[in-house]
Amino acid sequence: MGCPCEVRLLADSTEMAQQTAQACTSEAQRFERKYSRYLDASVTSSINRSAGLSVTPIDPETYGLLQYAGVCSEQSNGLFDITSGVLRQVWYKNRQTLPEQQALDQITRLIGWHKVILTENDVFLPERGMEIDFGGVVKEYAADAIAMQIKASGISSGLVSLGGDIVAFGSTSDNAPWPVGIVHPTEKDSAIATIYLQDRALATSGGYERYFDIQGKRYSHLINPHTGWPVDSLLSVSVSADQAIVAGSVSSIGLLFERHAALEWLAHSGFAYLAVDQDLNCYGTLAD
Amino acid sequence: MAVSAKISPWVALTGAALALPAFSAAPPDQMQIGVKTTAYRESDQAKGTVLVGSEQRYDINVNQFYLITPVGRNWSFAVDVSREAMSGASPWGTLSAIGADSQLVMSGATIEEARNELSLGVTRYSEQSSVAVSLTGSKENDYEAKALAVNAEWDFNNKLSTLAVGLSYSSDELAPTDALMFGRISSETKNSRSVSVGWTQVLGRSSVLQSGMSITDHRGYLSDPYKLRDIRPSERLQTVVNFRYRHFIESVNSSLHLDYRFYHDDFGIRSHTLRSAWYQNLTEQFQLIPGIRYYSQNQADFYVAGDDYSLADTVFQSSDYRLSGFGALTFGLQGRFSRRDWSVSVNFERYLSSASYGLDASARQHPGLLRFNLLSLGFDIKL
Repeated sequence: MGCPCEVRLLADSTEMAQQTAQACTSEAQRFERKYSRYLDASVTSSINRSAGLSVTPIDPETYGLLQYAGVCSEQSNGLFDITSGVLRQVWYKNRQTLPEQQALDQITRLIGWHKVILTENDVFLPERGMEIDFGGVVKEYAADAIAMQIKASGISSGLVSLGGDIVAFGSTSDNAPWPVGIVHPTEKDSAIATIYLQDRALATSGGYERYFDIQGKRYSHLINPHTGWPVDSLLSVSVSADQAIVAGSVSSIGLLFERHAALEWLAHSGFAYLAVDQDLNCYGTLAD
Repeated sequence: MAVSAKISPWVALTGAALALPAFSAAPPDQMQIGVKTTAYRESDQAKGTVLVGSEQRYDINVNQFYLITPVGRNWSFAVDVSREAMSGASPWGTLSAIGADSQLVMSGATIEEARNELSLGVTRYSEQSSVAVSLTGSKENDYEAKALAVNAEWDFNNKLSTLAVGLSYSSDELAPTDALMFGRISSETKNSRSVSVGWTQVLGRSSVLQSGMSITDHRGYLSDPYKLRDIRPSERLQTVVNFRYRHFIESVNSSLHLDYRFYHDDFGIRSHTLRSAWYQNLTEQFQLIPGIRYYSQNQADFYVAGDDYSLADTVFQSSDYRLSGFGALTFGLQGRFSRRDWSVSVNFERYLSSASYGLDASARQHPGLLRFNLLSLGFDIKL
């Protein structure tokens, strides 16, 4: 998954806890094998290899994720776009200079969810060079799937944390909701707020770690797929929802809008959120 | 697409997420059992309302037990058992005199009855739907009933909407006690058929609206054999339309429930029921639920304020208070304490009825209109 993963369970026996923990690890590995863009045998690689050439058959799970990504794209006016991964080729890590507009125009030509042809049974990327990246949805969906797997094994209390995206259900051993800290965007190892989760998921996007430092100026690592340029974004957004996949995409979308538009969108989205801007001002209903 | 721009992000994203395999409909994952005991006490008749017989009404004690358990991955099984013990007196008839209020002819306070009911149900769950079949049987000294019901549900719009359809059939047999002594019918039957349709819609992050309609047709002996003079049609068609709205208010951690029900039948009765309850979470474990219910009905076409023996016994008439025009108010308070695997609840209700509470200004007060108190205690546990 490329991130630290943790599962906490309240089970009636150590044996049951270990068996379930093993099942969770297997499920996490299944998602890794299926959707990692680094593995040749993954669904992602197989879809990308066929870009411009042929359709790729997909199963209900992949169809569901692609459908879901499509709704995220609609809801974010196209800013959330799982075909925008190709921007990495221009905005690569540790880039020291600003890219040429021409290079960006060439890349943005390959971006556009509306170009993807999706049916219940297959998917087709019409242009050679187009790529799909499930990274924006699959990690959070894996957290949901793992939580469901724990519940199916009869354990009624647990916490699943995959790289900062958290699903909590049931209560702690003290019969209270799970206390979860939202990582401070600029101070490592400290929390900007503590939220109490019961049968909810919490996801956080953004933060101190990822940005471009070019010629003395800091640029967000989030790129607007329409223009190809970094977004003047909020610093971090945390969202609470019933499903981790929803919390995760809403927090990502919150960072893809320009900061004022983002606060406006979050306020009307129907979700509880905590947004922190570049000056460390906090907004939102999540941590009062 | 202009339409999707109008759908709120919460509705669109939650709907699309719920379509994913990890969230498909699951049967209950643990066995759950519960018990409940209820004491129901009707208030004594007011002075002057009883011409002859007992001034006491019914006392009823009810004990209930249920069990629901998953069976394999896709099935669940449920058992419900109920035992009621009734004692007291009930109205046999109403006599009205010119220029005076009607008065009740009551039975003696010697009625002692027990009613037992058993219900068994099986549900099968699929990804987007479920089907349930249940069989119910009940028996008391003078009444036996058997019923079969089938209910199916389908989820649409990525689980934001649910369509429910139900069909049921029941067959009852009535053999009144002391039939010979009182010249009652010795044995009669009645059967009922019902169809219902319901639609539940998630409106947003915090609200749900449920709406439904049902039509029931009863045929057979529909009169009350214990009344001195009660002659009703042998067919009754009932229509019910209902709405239930639930809204969660995060800022005060509480939930508002608002229900409305409209009833119509071909006895000429129309009624309205409005119920409101406020579910207040006081702590993580304790919930307090005050509620109020208002009911109003108009009288049946063949309702009479006093039994009329001059009419032929083929002419429909009944002075049963339940067919008169009246309104009722119920005040209730429930407290619920929940832990991870079990919960306890206590519920108190006070019911008052009067012709003057109803919407029909011309309704005359029936002396048999009830007042009662109800107290129940319940316990549920997951095993």
